[in-house]
Amino acid sequence: MAHYLLLLMVHMDEVPYGALDLMVLKTLDGLGPQHGYGIARRIEQVAEGSLALNQGTIYPALLRLEQKGWIKSEWGMSENNRRARFYAITKAGKKQLAVEADLWSRTVAMMARLLEEPS
Amino acid sequence: MRTLWARIRGLFLGHRFDRRLDDEVQSHLEQLADDYQRRGMTAEQARLAARRAFGGVEQMKETYRDRRGIPLVETLTQDARYALRALGQHPGFTAVALLSLALGIGATTAVFSVMNAAMLRPLVGRDVGDLVVLAPERDNERFLLFNPEFEALRVRQRSLSNMFAVSEQPFLRVEFRQQPPSYVAASLVSGTYFDVLGIAPAAGRLLAAADDEAPNAGDATACVAVISDALWNRWFERSREAIGTLIRLRDRDCAIIGVAPAGFVGHQAGQVVDLWLPMRPLTERRLLESQTMAWYSGVMGRLNPGVTRAQAETELTALYRHIQSLEPPLPPTMRQPPRPSELSLRVRDGAAGLGGLRRQFGEPLTMVLAAVCLVLLIASTNVANLLLARGAARWPELATRMALGASRGRITRQLATEGSVIAVTGGVLGVTLAMLVTPLLASVSFASLDVSPDRRVLLAACAATLLTALVVGLLPALRLSAPRSPRSLTLNDRSRDAAGSQRVMRALLLVQFALSLLLVTAAGLLLRTSVGLSGIELGFDSGHVVLLEISDETPGSSGFNARETPETRAQRAATYRLAEERLSAIPGVQSASLSWYGLFSMNDLSTPLIDPLRPEDRREAHVNFVSARYFETVGMRVMRGRAFTQADGFSAPKVAVVNEALVRERFGGRDPIGAQLTPDYPGEDDQPLTIVGVIGDARYNSLRETDTRSMMWMPLQQATYRIDSVDLRVSPGAEADVPRQASAALRSVSPYLMVRRTTTLADQVRNTASRERLLFNLSAAFGAFALVLAAIGLHGTLAYSLARRRREIGVRFALGAQRSSVLNLFLREALAVAGGAAVIGIPLALVAGSWLRAFLFGVAPQDAGTVGAACAVLVLTVLVGASVPAIRASRVDPVTALRSE
Repeated sequence: MAHYLLLLMVHMDEVPYGALDLMVLKTLDGLGPQHGYGIARRIEQVAEGSLALNQGTIYPALLRLEQKGWIKSEWGMSENNRRARFYAITKAGKKQLAVEADLWSRTVAMMARLLEEPS
Repeated sequence: MRTLWARIRGLFLGHRFDRRLDDEVQSHLEQLADDYQRRGMTAEQARLAARRAFGGVEQMKETYRDRRGIPLVETLTQDARYALRALGQHPGFTAVALLSLALGIGATTAVFSVMNAAMLRPLVGRDVGDLVVLAPERDNERFLLFNPEFEALRVRQRSLSNMFAVSEQPFLRVEFRQQPPSYVAASLVSGTYFDVLGIAPAAGRLLAAADDEAPNAGDATACVAVISDALWNRWFERSREAIGTLIRLRDRDCAIIGVAPAGFVGHQAGQVVDLWLPMRPLTERRLLESQTMAWYSGVMGRLNPGVTRAQAETELTALYRHIQSLEPPLPPTMRQPPRPSELSLRVRDGAAGLGGLRRQFGEPLTMVLAAVCLVLLIASTNVANLLLARGAARWPELATRMALGASRGRITRQLATEGSVIAVTGGVLGVTLAMLVTPLLASVSFASLDVSPDRRVLLAACAATLLTALVVGLLPALRLSAPRSPRSLTLNDRSRDAAGSQRVMRALLLVQFALSLLLVTAAGLLLRTSVGLSGIELGFDSGHVVLLEISDETPGSSGFNARETPETRAQRAATYRLAEERLSAIPGVQSASLSWYGLFSMNDLSTPLIDPLRPEDRREAHVNFVSARYFETVGMRVMRGRAFTQADGFSAPKVAVVNEALVRERFGGRDPIGAQLTPDYPGEDDQPLTIVGVIGDARYNSLRETDTRSMMWMPLQQATYRIDSVDLRVSPGAEADVPRQASAALRSVSPYLMVRRTTTLADQVRNTASRERLLFNLSAAFGAFALVLAAIGLHGTLAYSLARRRREIGVRFALGAQRSSVLNLFLREALAVAGGAAVIGIPLALVAGSWLRAFLFGVAPQDAGTVGAACAVLVLTVLVGASVPAIRASRVDPVTALRSE
């Protein structure tokens, strides 16, 4: 029993820290208000199977973003008539998205140069 | 900031957030399942697939919760709640733990409160950090500062903005508005007193330099006084009319000019002053000018801005030595003062005032504080140990929780919280206990000490609790949550981990027993001191003697060196003669006597005695003036010649009696009866006295006197000074009634014979050993407490060891082991602890002995017998603590034991 339970404890954070936040913000910015399930599915679609995302992982991220005031949320009905919580990006969130996207692309560009450079 | 707010909200709205998350997760899972179903799965398959895709719901929730609130606070409250529940489940353990910690923390706080009030609490006043205490010293030996030196220093020094001198008058008789006279605690102070301390009046004005001018001849009325807020309340109900009211002190009328502010009680901790009077107008000119008669209680000053104490000390010492060197040398026959170069004028921190209590009680209080800190350490170690033993028994629980996803940090935190909950609860109980006990503790030794807790006491209590929490919380937590493999749940690893815990537990036990050994040894040394002191041959009979401390307040010139007319003396002699008669007439009084000062009263006078045949022989001896039946009353034996009789009256030939020590010193053992000695007492007509008797040697002021001092007694009727003391030998059982009747008898003789205090001679003697007795009582109580705790700790450790090894013992029995061999196994383990404790504890005990050196009497600080006895007590305690688990181990039933796992 104990061994089995321990296996459950493998780390969930296989998405680089900060990347998930950025993905959520970008998704909400592009698609408009979404419930958690929609956000998770969208991210999976975009990743095309290259990301092993436990869908549950996005809820702590959503809370974090909401606490920072970058997204807001309210209850609504989903497309198949289920009660769901809808998240939408705020003004501050858009500003943050711009900042982080810029930072991210610069990081990526730098990493690319670094990795391509013959050592 | 925003996040913080959201988190604080989350802390309080946690339940609502939890529900929201549940709903959200539920909705997510359902949508996911719907999708899968649409792709062709059955409902059951879709549900499972959705859960898989979602990931660990509970882990996610925990992460979510961590983000939502402030995790530390949240888990803390959660852990605290859990800990309280766990404590409630083990009431026996909880009671022992809380009681021992409460006693430890309570005792530490109480002793520190007393110490704080007696030594550390700053005075009320402006910038008390700049105040300094001045005292001449030679190698830490205090010398007196005489008034001419004080005056010269005050005028010439540059380091201090000003300085003042104080002379205490704890019992000043004051008459006021036809009320019966009463005693007031007064201080005679320099005019600069209030200015230096930085005190502003509550009403009227305070003393100024001009109030403190030496009196002009014939002008005896110019006298002013400042009263305390308490006295203002008591006498005047805070009326402004107090200002200008006259009060009568001795032969003076003094006008009240002002009231000191409410918080201000004086210049010294543990002392409450109600009346401040200018020193010079109320002190005789000859005393002010004397180079050899000092009466100051102390001198203080205020540093000039930018001057350090060291700089002030350098300047003042140089000045003081210079002033000393200007004084005319004393005649070579007299005892010589120290050379000026040997003396320095010490400048000490004066923020806490003159510090008379610090000198008197600093050392014993520090000892007691050290002892209670030890007890606290032992108590915390013990609780840590019990927690470890209990924690080791909780192995499966902890391992399961780790397996379920609790991180090591989380487990450590939870265990530490458990310990801290115990420590903090113990701390709260302890501080409450301290609040109740401290006033009692203080009133035992100090008359008027304000022990109300202040910031420092609270800080000390918090520090004690924190230290306890550290030992009790962190130690077991770190030990128990040490990293281990998930296989910890299996038996082998468990016993290996447990063996580690047991090593720690045994080490803690060693510490406990070693510290207990130290306390028990100290108690043993002090017990032998008490026995030694009570076994001393006093040389008088202290049983059934009632003692009255008297103050003769008859108006007329009084005090030092006052020249009195023969008529005044004759009058006083007659009054005392009458008092003696009336006192003797009281039922139950067998014999009554009056004396200048009493036995063991800490009063003393020594004066040169001149042999008329060899005038250059001026060796000093102690002298006292006593009435006719004194020796009979206190039970001193007449060895030769006679004691005084009523015939040795005012105009009879002058006589004296001496003790054996004086005969040895001055007469080389020859019969001194008929020989003559002349006391060289300043201001007296030095008439030779004829020795008429020899009295057996005795102790006069201290049990620790090693050499009997040379004494000479003179009849009170012939040299009639104001008496201080009345002794009454009473029939057994009359001790309770006699003091009241004696006071009445004295009042009937003269309204000015005031009784300050009544006691018995036996109590008076016993009180001189009160410090030693107090230390013994405390160290014995602490030692016993520490031993009981250590025994409980040992019992807990062994009981745990038994629980763990039950199976092993079962196997031993199954293989044919004898019960006695298993019993021995456990006893050996216990004795190993005792042995280890002795190895650590004996050197500690020897060090403690040398700290106690100053308090010991009749026993060496490193007395082998005492240390041995303490070790025996230790071994006995160990055996008692070990006996129950050991016996239980020897009764283990092999069949049940082998089947149990």
